[in-house]
Amino acid sequence: MRSVALKPRVWDIAVIAGVLLTALAIALLLLPQKADPVFVQIWQDGALLYELPLDTDTELTVGGKYENTVTIRGGAVCVSHATCPGGDCVRSGSIRDAGRGIVCLPNRLEIRLVGASGVDAVAK
Amino acid sequence: MNAVRKLTLTGVLTALALALGLLERALPLTAWIPLPGVKLGLSNIVTLFALCVLGTPYAAAILLLRAVLGSVFSGSITSLWYSLAGGALALGAMALGVRSKRLSVYGVSVLGAAAHSVGQIAAAAAVVGSVSILSYLPLLLVVSTATGALVGAAAAGVLGGWNALPKSLTGGVG
Repeated sequence: MRSVALKPRVWDIAVIAGVLLTALAIALLLLPQKADPVFVQIWQDGALLYELPLDTDTELTVGGKYENTVTIRGGAVCVSHATCPGGDCVRSGSIRDAGRGIVCLPNRLEIRLVGASGVDAVAK
Repeated sequence: MNAVRKLTLTGVLTALALALGLLERALPLTAWIPLPGVKLGLSNIVTLFALCVLGTPYAAAILLLRAVLGSVFSGSITSLWYSLAGGALALGAMALGVRSKRLSVYGVSVLGAAAHSVGQIAAAAAVVGSVSILSYLPLLLVVSTATGALVGAAAAGVLGGWNALPKSLTGGVG
């Protein structure tokens, strides 16, 4: 058996520090690219109704069989009010990352967050 | 340790690594840390143990068998590339870490966990064909220091127990 110490040693701390520093360095290197704009797309019956920037606060109501009130606030979007029977879209809460979405099946409504990179869509 | 004992131990460890992998799938760490690819890396306990008790070639064999059989069980081919890339890099880093003689099993484990994150992200970037996935790496590395230390503690416990066994049971190695 190759001998390896079973109790922590000084160099272990060096390894942990090295990993954390590497993480910090990569994070700093990638920082400028994190500003990808994210857009809110609102689809109904498979058609794109609106495309709005996520960083501009606004509120709008989408009609149809029922009504959904879509609120964009503080870089997040949610369905704040809906007249549909289930209310799943309201309970979905707020989303802020590209690739995420909120669906209201009764009103055939879909809210999608799209970004330039599309990383999140693939990772999921 | 004679060849038959080594082969038997390799088989048992492969089964154990697969079982730990399934256990991990049932209790995903992503439930608490919502980051793709975050996991405890429980089967790394097996890799560490194999590295120390059987040597690098056996640890590599276990890793390969676990990756292939694991992707058969999960039915996902892409996960095979992720775990192969991550696992190979982790094994290489840990083999070097053990050889350095300066690290304890904790440091070796953290090294392996970090290398696994790098390999996984590299494979993901290759599969997706985009380097923007790199943005996950810093957080994955931070998490890997914690999971690596935890796995290191578990491996230290297992290796300590193995060393305490009578030589007639462990085949005179340990």
